[in-house]
Amino acid sequence: MTPTTFSLLHATDFADRQLYNIVPPLKAGMIVLADRYAYTAFARDVARGVDRRWVRDLYSFAVRPDLALYFRVPIDVSLDRLMARRVKLKFYEAGMDMGWSQNLVDSFRIFQGKVLDEYDRLVDEFGLSVVDASLAITDQQQMVRNLVSRQLEKPAAAALAETVAG
Amino acid sequence: MPEQQEFENGANGHILAGRYYGYGLPYLPIEHYPGKIIAIEGTDGVGRSTQIQLLREWLEVQGYGVVETGWTRSALMQPTIELAKSSNTLNKLTFVLLYATDFADRLEKEIIPALKAGFVVLADRYIFSALARAAVRGVDKAWLRSLYGFAISPHLVFYLKTDVDTLIRRVLSARGMDFWESGMDLKGGDDIYDSFRAYQNKLLREYNSMADEFSFRVLDARRPVDAIQEDLRRQVQTFLSSSDIGVEGPDVEASR
Repeated sequence: MTPTTFSLLHATDFADRQLYNIVPPLKAGMIVLADRYAYTAFARDVARGVDRRWVRDLYSFAVRPDLALYFRVPIDVSLDRLMARRVKLKFYEAGMDMGWSQNLVDSFRIFQGKVLDEYDRLVDEFGLSVVDASLAITDQQQMVRNLVSRQLEKPAAAALAETVAG
Repeated sequence: MPEQQEFENGANGHILAGRYYGYGLPYLPIEHYPGKIIAIEGTDGVGRSTQIQLLREWLEVQGYGVVETGWTRSALMQPTIELAKSSNTLNKLTFVLLYATDFADRLEKEIIPALKAGFVVLADRYIFSALARAAVRGVDKAWLRSLYGFAISPHLVFYLKTDVDTLIRRVLSARGMDFWESGMDLKGGDDIYDSFRAYQNKLLREYNSMADEFSFRVLDARRPVDAIQEDLRRQVQTFLSSSDIGVEGPDVEASR
């Protein structure tokens, strides 16, 4: 897979999920918890080399979240956690298709470094709420609950037509 | 939402051949690649495959390297697309994206390497059929053009034009009207003939509306195969002779 086909396949999957798993519950007045969203694509696909503006236009059909939480973790913490779980880094996850390094760990470090840089840009661009993911889980959950409570107190979400990138 | 309603990758609103329509693939610069893309477009049943086969033989005899490419032929996407068509869970957006993925795969794996090597790429349909099918289903045209901004503008686009009555008779004599070619997913009723006719009419209108924007060379596809091929060869010859990969070769009207 190339950076572009990888990006398009994920967008296809997202379009399908939005149709079935996101829009109907929203219309029913439910809360949708999304594990990853369009922002993952904006960070990861651009780190792989697709045009920044292109991928945003691609996802312009995506519903804009009422709240977007970004769990930020420094690259070494991320690596340490993966290594501790004795997880074997996967080929695409480590960015091995990009040819930055023959070594899985080095490749991962380079790739994830680029991804983290992109995420940092997204924080301002899309108003992401940053949660320090190097803290204890219970501390993080407290912050998350505070953010979500505040969000739930707000008046009903804007019309469904409001999209992520436009 | 993307703003641009039409492509403009050159000055004065023109589209430059051999360049990306939009933002392109930043990791694959294609400037100065000598190969040429010749796209043959048109609805089902206009005889594209026949024309391409004849064109290919003629080009190869002259010494051109030729690579053919066509829709849903990418190894990556073909099984997925077949599965998608046989299921009933996909919506128009998902289909558009699946086709775009197939195209991206072929572009990167087949078309661009061929251009780099100085080959002639014969494309059985290009992005225009995908744009037409999506537009008929109400997908936003500006978004579609933004999506296909990674595509390369062909050097020649031939549009084999027919009328809906001729098309209907050809399709019925050949293999019949299938679900997708009849636009049955648009749910205009149960009658396949009516649906096919209405859908193909809409498609024809879409192709017509794109003819100027993409500089289609329109050919009447209702003529005999030889007449169409002669027309194609004449135009291709003129173009290639004046290009940087033009070769000296036998007469355009080579005997068959």
